[in-house]
Amino acid sequence: MDFSVLIKSIDDLASDLVFLDDKEIDIPSLGKFMNHLENIIKAAEPLNIFPLTRVATALNQILESVVLDTLKDKALGFHTFETGIALMQEIVQNFHSIGEYKASIQPFLEAAASVTGVVISEDANVNISQEPDTQASEEKTQIQDMSLVKDFIAEGLEYIDEIEVNILNLEQNPESTDMINTIFRPFHSIKGVASFLNLEKIRDLAHNLENLLDKARNMELRVTPSLIDVILDGADALKAMILQLKDELENRPVKPLSVDLTVLIQRIKKSENGDEDLPSKRKLGEILVEDGLITTDDVNQTLDLMRDVPQKKIGEVLIEEGKVTPKQVSQALRKQAEQATEASTLRVDTRKLDDLIDMVGELVITQSMIQQDLKQQANADKNLVRDISQFFRITSSLQRTSMSLRMVPIRQTFQRMSRLIRDLAKNAGKVIHVEMFGEETEIDRNMVDEIYNPLVHMVRNAVDHGLETPEERVMAGKPEKGLICLRAYHRGGNIVIEISDDGRGLSKQKIVDKAFKKGLISKLDELSDQDIFKMILLPGLSTAEKITDVSGRGVGMDVVKQSVEKLRGKIDIESKQGQGSTFITSFPLTLAIIDGMMVKVGHEVYIIPTLAIRQALRPARENYNLVVGKGETINVMGQLLPLVRLYELLGIEPEKKNPWEAIVVVVEGENRAKCLLVDNILGKAEVVIKNLGEGLKHIKGVSGGAILGDGHIGLILDPEGVFELGEGK
Amino acid sequence: MDKQIKILVVDDFATMRKVIRNLLKQVGYENIAEAEDGVTALKALKSQKIDLIISDWNMPNMTGIELLKEVRADEELKPTPFLMVTAEALQDNVIAAVKAGVSNYIVKPFTAEVLNEKIKKTLDKV
Repeated sequence: MDFSVLIKSIDDLASDLVFLDDKEIDIPSLGKFMNHLENIIKAAEPLNIFPLTRVATALNQILESVVLDTLKDKALGFHTFETGIALMQEIVQNFHSIGEYKASIQPFLEAAASVTGVVISEDANVNISQEPDTQASEEKTQIQDMSLVKDFIAEGLEYIDEIEVNILNLEQNPESTDMINTIFRPFHSIKGVASFLNLEKIRDLAHNLENLLDKARNMELRVTPSLIDVILDGADALKAMILQLKDELENRPVKPLSVDLTVLIQRIKKSENGDEDLPSKRKLGEILVEDGLITTDDVNQTLDLMRDVPQKKIGEVLIEEGKVTPKQVSQALRKQAEQATEASTLRVDTRKLDDLIDMVGELVITQSMIQQDLKQQANADKNLVRDISQFFRITSSLQRTSMSLRMVPIRQTFQRMSRLIRDLAKNAGKVIHVEMFGEETEIDRNMVDEIYNPLVHMVRNAVDHGLETPEERVMAGKPEKGLICLRAYHRGGNIVIEISDDGRGLSKQKIVDKAFKKGLISKLDELSDQDIFKMILLPGLSTAEKITDVSGRGVGMDVVKQSVEKLRGKIDIESKQGQGSTFITSFPLTLAIIDGMMVKVGHEVYIIPTLAIRQALRPARENYNLVVGKGETINVMGQLLPLVRLYELLGIEPEKKNPWEAIVVVVEGENRAKCLLVDNILGKAEVVIKNLGEGLKHIKGVSGGAILGDGHIGLILDPEGVFELGEGK
Repeated sequence: MDKQIKILVVDDFATMRKVIRNLLKQVGYENIAEAEDGVTALKALKSQKIDLIISDWNMPNMTGIELLKEVRADEELKPTPFLMVTAEALQDNVIAAVKAGVSNYIVKPFTAEVLNEKIKKTLDKV
């Protein structure tokens, strides 16, 4: 073993200590010592000299507390440090000569811990005693220079504008630490200057926001929409405060703050602890008032009465007063209880949950493998068969339960959207009422964030283009107030989300005209209403005449369609001119499972997502053509579709090469359909999608893998990718 | 104490630079240069003689610690005293700065007296 590096590092440390001029260690020397210790730990690790590593770590802790000035007894600290170095030399020598160190290092570790350990509790006291100090010193830093404050106002406002833009970017890339950093920095700077200028409220708020972002930056907090809301509200309040300062400076009347700072700071602190912004438990009286059974005055009167009989509950008193019936109270209590259970949910790290679900997925695969093995055994034990089928039932219900753990109600998404509608309506000068149905409908937690953007875009369209202005509505004989309905329900394995408005509806004529102008259709095409409406999902086809600051910026429905399809969802549109439109989106409940068709090519099994499949057929020989300039085509119900020989792309020897002997699957990509040539269709399967890992992630044509019932692996094909492969892109 | 030394104040927030400049003036230091981030600071350091760097930690382009490391890695600039400004003693930051060879650190907000004290301590060692 090579001890020379180690011995040299310790000797360096010792000699540096000896050559220290005075007994107070300055910061640069402390830095040097720390680096020595780091080298010692690095050199000791491969040699497995654990006692040494532990002593060195303890010494490092002492140094850190010296740097941070939290050491109470500096002389003792210094002495312990010297002892520690001597101890390290002893340990190394022992290891060098006899290969071990027999004495205990415990006494030293305890001594070191007491030096620094005391400090930790001492620390709090130190801080408290320092508090008045800083206060006093701050007063000394009075605002001597008004121009400083002016500079702060101007630069601070600039910074906040920057924050706002960056937060919106963050919402798009919540994982980006860089993005969090660019938001963190301005808050940090504002706080720094505010503390010098004695602007305590601004400093406090900026400080709290900074802490929150710091946690997000260190991955201790996830960037959720509610976190972003809190930060935005914080930035708004900061801006308002700086503007107040400006008014004050310019001798203008100061506008009062529209938010309660203490409440805001509490909210920030709450999000810092990872609590989502949930409405707190409502009081029984509030529920009854909301249900329209009693008035607020009634509640207040009853509360007055209750002062005399404190042991009674408000429900009882209200019943005695004859204001409500017992049934109404019990209903209200049930509502309250529902909320209470909601509040008592347990927060679990999503990674743990994903791991659990993953493991259950493995379990399901293993059990289906066992089942197949069993089937192959001719005279299997009957008891075993029965037990296995019992096992099968349990695993599948376990799978269902574990999947449901990740499900959350769509309510929060709806609430965010309704808030957005309110804001948008105000901007657009419209009056809009929002109705929500099926907020309890559950969806995979991972889907929630994904579906938000496309939904928001449709909501914006509804507000901006769908609904008329109040004047227009009155003229059309409709109520002045527009209506937007958000509706969610389950259908099959999908969650369906409908956004409908009672506005002007889509104009078929306008869509057709525009599509014709763009050359997307010929006048002769016979189109169903659905076909026409769906054309607004094509790029470059927006019927909006007015461009507003929210929608109509060139980001049209085509982008919505793309992002919906990326989530394996689809959009349907219903509309009646003059009566409104409904956008019906459906998404799979989870991204973890895919509904697929298993196909065989040679000896390999592939999975094609069912959603992409239009049909499967064995073409007649005469329907196969070689068209010049187009390549091989299959005539599918009058439509000539290109043929893609999967085995060629995948480099496999197939069983059948002639389409009329094999099967073609008509698959839809982003804007075209093609026929994939496969040997056979094995059947339908719901498979758990497995990530292929970093190395294989970017392989074109394949979007993932799955373990099949027989234990083999099947790759999941990505139609668009396969098409592109065939086109040589 | 030589009040004529040239001090380079590095901070991305212009107001903050002004604050520090004012505090320095209060205790008699008049010869001050400014830089808005690590990159411009390095340029300034190479083009003129700087006797003391006072730098913020959190800056775009090149952070305070990155600047410190650059300075300490440069044969010519190496001995320049470096005073790091941090927000409420972020312990990990302070330790990292110390390991990278910072001369001293100062926690925001500070008074002119504290700043003076730290500058003295830093320069005494040189």
